[in-house]
Amino acid sequence: MSILRQHAEHQFAEELHEIAKSDTRQRPPNWKLSPWAVATYILGGKLDNGFEVSPKYIGNRRIIEIAIATLTTDRALLLLGVPGTAKTWVAEHLAAAATGDSTMLVQGTAGTSEDSIRYGWNYARLLAEGPSLNALVATPVMRAMREGKIARVEELTRIPADVQDTLITILSEKTLPIPELGDEVQATKGFNLIATANNRDKGVNELSSALKRRFNTVVLPVPANLEEEVDIVQRRVESLGRALELPAEPPALEEIRRVVTVFRELRNGITADGKTKLKSPTGSLSTAEAISVINSGLALAGHFGDGQLRANEVAAGLVGAVVKDPVQDRVVWLEYLETVVKERNGWKDFYRACRHLSE
Amino acid sequence: MSLHIFGIRHHGPGSARSLRRALEALAPDCLLVEGPPEAAKVLPLLMHEAMQPPVALLLYVADKPELAVYYPFAVFSPEWQALHYALQQNVPARFMDLPQTHRLAEWSARQAEAEAAKQQEPTNAPTNLPEENGEAEATVETAEGEPMNAEPTVNECLPFRVDPIGALAQAAGYSDSERWWEHLVEHRRDSQDLFAAILEAMTALRNDLPSVDEKSELQREAFMRQTIRAAEGEGYQRIAVVCGAWHAPALVETSSAKTDAALLKGLPKIKVEATWVPWTYGRLTYASGYGAGIPSPGWYDHLWHSPDRVAIRWLANVARLLREEDLDASPAAIIEAARLAETLAALRQHPLPGLAELNEATQTVFCFGDDAPMRLIGRKLIVSERLGKVPDDTPMVPLAKDLLREQKRLRLMPEATEKTLAFDLRKPTDLERSHLLHRLNLLSLGWGKTERVYGRKGTFNETWRLQWQPEFSIKLIEAGIYGNTIEAAATARVKEQVNGQVDLPQLTAMLDATLLADLPEAVKALMTRLQNEAALTGDVAHLMGALPPLANVLRYGNVRQTDTAAVAQVVEGMVTRICISLPLACASLADEAAEAMFKLLMETNSAIQLLDNEAQLAEWRKVLARMAEQENLHGLLAGRCCRVLLDGGVLLSEEAARRMGLALSLANEPAKAAAWVEGFLKGSGLLLLHDDKLWQTLDAWVTQLHSDAFAELLPLLRRTFATFAKAERRQMGERVKRGADEKTPVFIGSNEFDSERADSILPLVAQLLGLKVE
Repeated sequence: MSILRQHAEHQFAEELHEIAKSDTRQRPPNWKLSPWAVATYILGGKLDNGFEVSPKYIGNRRIIEIAIATLTTDRALLLLGVPGTAKTWVAEHLAAAATGDSTMLVQGTAGTSEDSIRYGWNYARLLAEGPSLNALVATPVMRAMREGKIARVEELTRIPADVQDTLITILSEKTLPIPELGDEVQATKGFNLIATANNRDKGVNELSSALKRRFNTVVLPVPANLEEEVDIVQRRVESLGRALELPAEPPALEEIRRVVTVFRELRNGITADGKTKLKSPTGSLSTAEAISVINSGLALAGHFGDGQLRANEVAAGLVGAVVKDPVQDRVVWLEYLETVVKERNGWKDFYRACRHLSE
Repeated sequence: MSLHIFGIRHHGPGSARSLRRALEALAPDCLLVEGPPEAAKVLPLLMHEAMQPPVALLLYVADKPELAVYYPFAVFSPEWQALHYALQQNVPARFMDLPQTHRLAEWSARQAEAEAAKQQEPTNAPTNLPEENGEAEATVETAEGEPMNAEPTVNECLPFRVDPIGALAQAAGYSDSERWWEHLVEHRRDSQDLFAAILEAMTALRNDLPSVDEKSELQREAFMRQTIRAAEGEGYQRIAVVCGAWHAPALVETSSAKTDAALLKGLPKIKVEATWVPWTYGRLTYASGYGAGIPSPGWYDHLWHSPDRVAIRWLANVARLLREEDLDASPAAIIEAARLAETLAALRQHPLPGLAELNEATQTVFCFGDDAPMRLIGRKLIVSERLGKVPDDTPMVPLAKDLLREQKRLRLMPEATEKTLAFDLRKPTDLERSHLLHRLNLLSLGWGKTERVYGRKGTFNETWRLQWQPEFSIKLIEAGIYGNTIEAAATARVKEQVNGQVDLPQLTAMLDATLLADLPEAVKALMTRLQNEAALTGDVAHLMGALPPLANVLRYGNVRQTDTAAVAQVVEGMVTRICISLPLACASLADEAAEAMFKLLMETNSAIQLLDNEAQLAEWRKVLARMAEQENLHGLLAGRCCRVLLDGGVLLSEEAARRMGLALSLANEPAKAAAWVEGFLKGSGLLLLHDDKLWQTLDAWVTQLHSDAFAELLPLLRRTFATFAKAERRQMGERVKRGADEKTPVFIGSNEFDSERADSILPLVAQLLGLKVE
């Protein structure tokens, strides 16, 4: 097998098969599984026949239930969240479990045009045969409508606002007119759309309220507690470190905990003991960024240090991750250093390292 | 003769509805309700047309109003509905719980014991423990009537006794016991069976759980049985008994009248009074510390008042609330939210959506996943801000009695005509009077207003204008919700305000008022909030405004029993934050803003000097030094920074002179240079005369000026010097004439000294300094 990354429905084909076998509940039209079974697939659990389903998403059950319930009505689903909260991952698995196909994907970028959402033309054919259905290039959205599947639009807010609004007709009328042919494509039962978007990043195109109203919005939260987040960071750092073949030793849990604590405290605007409030910086401070701070620290330690990750290496990446706006964030960061880090037991080395870099 | 026991859930709309229906079907000729028998006197007021729930029955010890128990009722409380029914149908209704006369007497005795123990070993720190324990037990005993002084406590077996129906619902896999109850109750035809079923379930639950041997519990149940026996003895035919579901099985259990009587023998007694007070839904919640609290009174109110289509009506209310707050909420969104809530309920295999589903649907559809509007919905709809009302002829609340007592004690009688009083705060009585008036002001009872009297300086003088308004008695009833003594009520009120939406200057103002009212508890809460607010504020001006009063508190300790460590911590955080953010906040200011900042800078400077903390002072001077060199700083501020540094000895005279020359260089804009001088010298005309260093700095700079340059700079200097008093300017001129070398002349020669006259002022000086003179 030389494929670098498999689609969810192939990678977890066995689980999907087992779940479908024991799933006796009512299925919405064109769905491969019942909503209950989809929830089991995403959140993991044990089937009646003893088969163990691995959890795809670790977190609040209610969020996944809302997402699935939304898909069974004909409302589209918008997954919001800061980067690194598994939006795409959840969207892919929802599509794979519900309709057995996660490939109906439009990647949103600043250059996404209407053609890639509605339909395009095969110009050779168009010139040779004139406008006809054969000369039409169907987009994933159009195919999903025809086949009654779930289409996905990634990074919806990166798409220019006027192009975003193309979705309005599709979502409210469930139809895609083709005026050139005097024809239209009407959605088959089971069609729906999952979009993902960042709600924290800068430089995004805010959704128009007309479009916003056509979505049910579910916000995927950052990890609920310190232990969960430390766990996620450690797993990722270890697997990434192997992939990148970093020369340093795997980081001590203590250093990871420290970075995650700083990230969580600044992100939540309150210290871990709940005693002191803090200002939050402008950046998103996602778990993914914590991972990259540790990774770059490892690289520093490996190539320029003695291979051990220490406060100095961590501080180098950390200050850059926190201080995104040189004026406002600097104030936030200095306040944090002076009022929280300075006093904390066992953080002296860390304070000195950060202070040295922030002067 | 038949006895019908209705085990209910306190404050359950489902229970209330089925109970009302069951009572109407049964038509009892006597109703017994779990509650304090002392309240019989005020019970008829329940039907008064001005009575609007939520209200609470308040029972308190006549001469110790801080010992009190509240029994809150909402319109959806089964007890309320049962009593309402009985009074409407002229059926005799009685309370049957163990009288508070005994329970409060026991509580009072225990408190006295704890106090005695405290006095025996006054030095040990943990001596307040016995008292806390005593109160905690009192909480457990009166799960439905919450003693106000008790801290909310968690007792392991408490959940079952407080909400046994919740326990059953949990066993059935429901998170919301009210919905479980609704599902079970609303779809039933005859509610009689239902109460029989509850009786059975509770019997099973009581058998499964370890038996309660707590004496007070047994006594309560014995007293209830005795009351039932008495009613039976009077010949009533159909007796309806309404009590918490947990007690239901105990009331049918056969226990002889004799053992019950033995159990109830020789209970202590204390004089107890009962009255009604208005209540709020907020105080029906767990969060308010009420033991039998419910999470969502507003939602229950909705359940009670909505005959059908509960979910849709709720969502419509949500939409209306959001629209009031200028948030989008269209009818189409209501439809979508209702659909989502129903699908969610189906996914979770509930027949109808509950509050959890509705909230999730609301957040997903109305709020676009945002949880900020949800907090608004939580406050305004789920808890609801509804405030009850009691009739005007309700017996006097303990708060009013406490005020009366205080007024007598301090000989400060309410009069309708205006009167002016001057207090000397060094006298204990006057100080207490001042505290009382300040506390009443905190309760929005403006009996007295402070007056600023000019000509009489000194912080120990306070002048008040007193005028009693008739509506104050009503305000006292309203304020009764906060506590039973003026002190406790004022503390609770401040605490409530502190937890509301206030900004830093408001907090500082409140701190001032609270300090004057001498409420250490409230001050503590204020400090905590102040610290949080200080951390979050982006406005340095607010921080700088808040610092001086705090520095005063810390330095002069005019707060009694305040944890000065807490103040110190807040102040330290503030100074650090000011130091970090000040340079940025001072950059590129307009003239007016610079003027305001100048004032703040001066105040902060004196506050920090007052604090006399080496590290803070050093940090502050470091920042000022940096600012003095900041390019875009307003001249006024730059000048002042330089001056502060000179005064603090950080800059030498020569260096200050160099900087002055730099600031007044001809390359600079004249306006900026003028501002610099103004900042450097503002308000220090007299100081200039007597401070040698300052004088020499200025002198050094002027003398090294070239005569042409001097002529050009003269207008700029004049702008500042013109603000000095004429006499000052004359003296300056004379000093210049005398030359630089001559020291400031000393006028007091020993031969001219009149020691007799000097002696005569010594007593006054001693008094000012607080010294004792024999």
